[in-house]
Amino acid sequence: MMNLKNLVVTALAVCSLASSALAGPFTKKSELGGFDGFVERMSGGVRELGRGNTGSADTASMPGAFWNPALLGFRENLGVTLNIERRDLDRLGGAFGVEGKVGKRMGVGFAMLYRGDRDFSVINDDDETVGTAKPFFSMFYLGFAYRATRQDAFGLSFSMSYDNLDISEYMNEMYGIDTEDAFRSPVTVNISWFRQWNAKWSSSVVIRNLSFSKNLSAKWTKNPSKDNSLASTEGVRPKVLQIGLGYRSKIMGKPVYAWMEALDYQVADTLLAFDPQLHVWTGRVGFECEIVPRATLRVGMDDLNWMLGAGYKFEIRVGRKKFPLEVNYAFLYETSAGLWSPFSLGLRGYIP
Amino acid sequence: MKFSMMKTSGFKSLAFSASVLAGTMLSVNAFAGETLFSNYVYAVGPAGQNGALWAFSRDNSYSGVTLLNFNVSDKGNVVTEATKQAQVATDTLTAVQDGIFEDDLAERRRIPAVYAGSKFGLVLPMFAMDKDDRYRVPAGYYTIRDLGNVIENPIDVPSIVEDLDTLDKNPMMYATSGFAYDSTAKRLWIARGALGVMVHDVSGKKSADTTFILDVEKKKLEILKNNTKLDLKKNPEIFDVRLHPETGELWLATAKGVWVQSSGGLKNVSDKLKDSRVTGLWLGGKPFQVIAETAYKKGDDVVGGLWRVYDGAKDFSKVNFLDTAGKVQKKDVYDEADYTVSDVAFIGKTAFVLVRAVGGFVSGYLKLDSLGARAWEKDDDGKLQWLYGYETGATDRKATIVSMCAFPLTKNRMGLAIATDGNGISVSADSGASWSVVLNRAKLSNNLGSIRMVPSVITPGSEALVSYKVGEESKITIEVFSYDMRKVRTIVKDAVRNADASRSSNPKEDFWDGRDDHGKDCTMGVYYIRVKDNHGHIGWGKAMTLGGNFR
Repeated sequence: MMNLKNLVVTALAVCSLASSALAGPFTKKSELGGFDGFVERMSGGVRELGRGNTGSADTASMPGAFWNPALLGFRENLGVTLNIERRDLDRLGGAFGVEGKVGKRMGVGFAMLYRGDRDFSVINDDDETVGTAKPFFSMFYLGFAYRATRQDAFGLSFSMSYDNLDISEYMNEMYGIDTEDAFRSPVTVNISWFRQWNAKWSSSVVIRNLSFSKNLSAKWTKNPSKDNSLASTEGVRPKVLQIGLGYRSKIMGKPVYAWMEALDYQVADTLLAFDPQLHVWTGRVGFECEIVPRATLRVGMDDLNWMLGAGYKFEIRVGRKKFPLEVNYAFLYETSAGLWSPFSLGLRGYIP
Repeated sequence: MKFSMMKTSGFKSLAFSASVLAGTMLSVNAFAGETLFSNYVYAVGPAGQNGALWAFSRDNSYSGVTLLNFNVSDKGNVVTEATKQAQVATDTLTAVQDGIFEDDLAERRRIPAVYAGSKFGLVLPMFAMDKDDRYRVPAGYYTIRDLGNVIENPIDVPSIVEDLDTLDKNPMMYATSGFAYDSTAKRLWIARGALGVMVHDVSGKKSADTTFILDVEKKKLEILKNNTKLDLKKNPEIFDVRLHPETGELWLATAKGVWVQSSGGLKNVSDKLKDSRVTGLWLGGKPFQVIAETAYKKGDDVVGGLWRVYDGAKDFSKVNFLDTAGKVQKKDVYDEADYTVSDVAFIGKTAFVLVRAVGGFVSGYLKLDSLGARAWEKDDDGKLQWLYGYETGATDRKATIVSMCAFPLTKNRMGLAIATDGNGISVSADSGASWSVVLNRAKLSNNLGSIRMVPSVITPGSEALVSYKVGEESKITIEVFSYDMRKVRTIVKDAVRNADASRSSNPKEDFWDGRDDHGKDCTMGVYYIRVKDNHGHIGWGKAMTLGGNFR
């Protein structure tokens, strides 16, 4: 049996790594590199970050409205999560979520993801620094779930983005151009399904970034200047198909978990595109082991980036009530850029 | 008046006077180029011996000089044989006044650097700090005979300055802007703007300083006394002073024309420039010629002109600007921008006129032959290019050229040297056809420094220059990453870049246009630019693109 478990875990890892390797030749779409293209890749939640940004096939993932709104159907208590990621080059990110049960079979949750740069030097044509901007990008999710059976749940979330480049003051000073700082996207729709096959296996399917336009594409126009002196930007958020798989077992009596996700980004304003050049494929894999009761170690890989994580569960007692809490830490190495970020902290808990 | 070239015995070419000593001064030092005081060089001047050159640098608040010795290889290349440097004694004094770039008056935008014989050596102006800690107070002049004799020579400010509000409040009105040395009479002439011209006489046992002002009514140079009533209309400013190398005549560039003091008295010698504000004079060349610059303020603009007179001609003529075929053009460089002359160097028939744009960083030199300034190229837009500089190989980086001189490189060859703001000096042994750059490489940190994107906010198609330092010859790779560190563009890979003080590097290749590797616009957002060299150094810069259309 041990051999079979190892085989399964190894197979998951190989599949995911193969998927990661495939991502290279097809990663040709600049749109995914843009300021609004990374959120689906960066994800939210330090617990999930430490295991390779995997979270869609785990009922405990938070914020559920982001990872997979169907997960909200399994909430029993009011859950709250707050996460901060400080990455090299002044990048600061975070995620916040609050979610809970509605009725017997339903759940609802709110999530906010934030990514920003805290020190962007605005430099003019004469190589003079005219100021410092703090551009940021944020996504808001409102998710709903319906648990159809004890094993299955379906989810729906609405999301929209708000980003602020924080440079209009300087653009006016440098070039006399009145620019817009803030941009808001239209509402996009995400749908999902989660199934707990048995005590060991779980799976998820999430389709992100659908809209009510032709081809169901979530697109919008950004006009950076108020006087149309700068060309406008056509934005299309890529449709994402995210398939997750989870496996639970024990090795030497200690609980172990393996997670895998495969993602397909369709970078085209079409309903369905079959040209591989219009798709970006990537994969994630993560493992975790509760080495001692309450303490978990994690390792993961998201595309070519490596992560290590750790978590510790504890309770605080207020009066007669116990509040389960979990503090999580993640270490991240961004391989292509050669950057490591040692500071990501998250806190999550439930209010019974 | 006819301009004549009278033969007198008084003048000897100082530049060649000590050529016999050259061999003994030179010593082979493979790392000689490493000791330039600073790569921010603002004046170059001859040192009186073959192959010897002075360079005056200022790096932040420290100023110093470098004595460089050159030779010429069998292939005709300039070889740096030795360099030695010294810091000026007082760090509150310098030859580089703070307005050299920002000032728009021509006479304040150059640093006169004149070789005044073995008695004085190189002569440069000297400035002290004002109450705002800016070097804007004329304080005398430096004489630099050798590195052990960088001498500060303060000049007394006459008490009448305190009585004149305009001069008292604006000491740059009497800034030193020209020198001339009379080796026969052992007199150093110093142009002092509103305070006329001073002569420092060392012919006797004791040196004596006398200041003269020009009296245009009496047509005389009168001694400035403490009770003199200075009237700038009657006593126009004197911006430059020169000595005719053959006749010994004293030439003065004044706010009211060109005046010449000869045995026949003092005369305003040009009808065309009679009332012009003549800000500079340069005498030399074969055949002998005099080049004059006129410049005055008209509103916010500076109206400049370049004039020349050959020996025997009746009066000055405006310098013609020619196309590549030699046809005189109606429009010239002065129609494109306001330029002022920093220096003129004569080598044979050619006059090299160094100019710099007011209110900008455009600089370069004009090559004047007997017909005028000849364009070296017509660009793709049909625009004639008269300014020699980075594009013609005078510098290997786009650095502002601030000073220029001709100096005896070998017994039979004149060298041409230019000083740049940040990129050391360049020396040519073949009248500007090819150049050798001399840098203080030790001043360059062996890393890439902070990477700056200039400008840091762009739209697709425009260019953000990737600015970085290269401390030693390197293979540079520049890549662009998205916020989540996915590589979207490789700008250059293992591109060879030579060590340089300039903050960037290769503007023709090292820029990002807001596009990815496939030529597609990157979407609106912040991108991270990584510069790597082959010595293990890595630097990051940031740029923001506002455009990016989905395609």
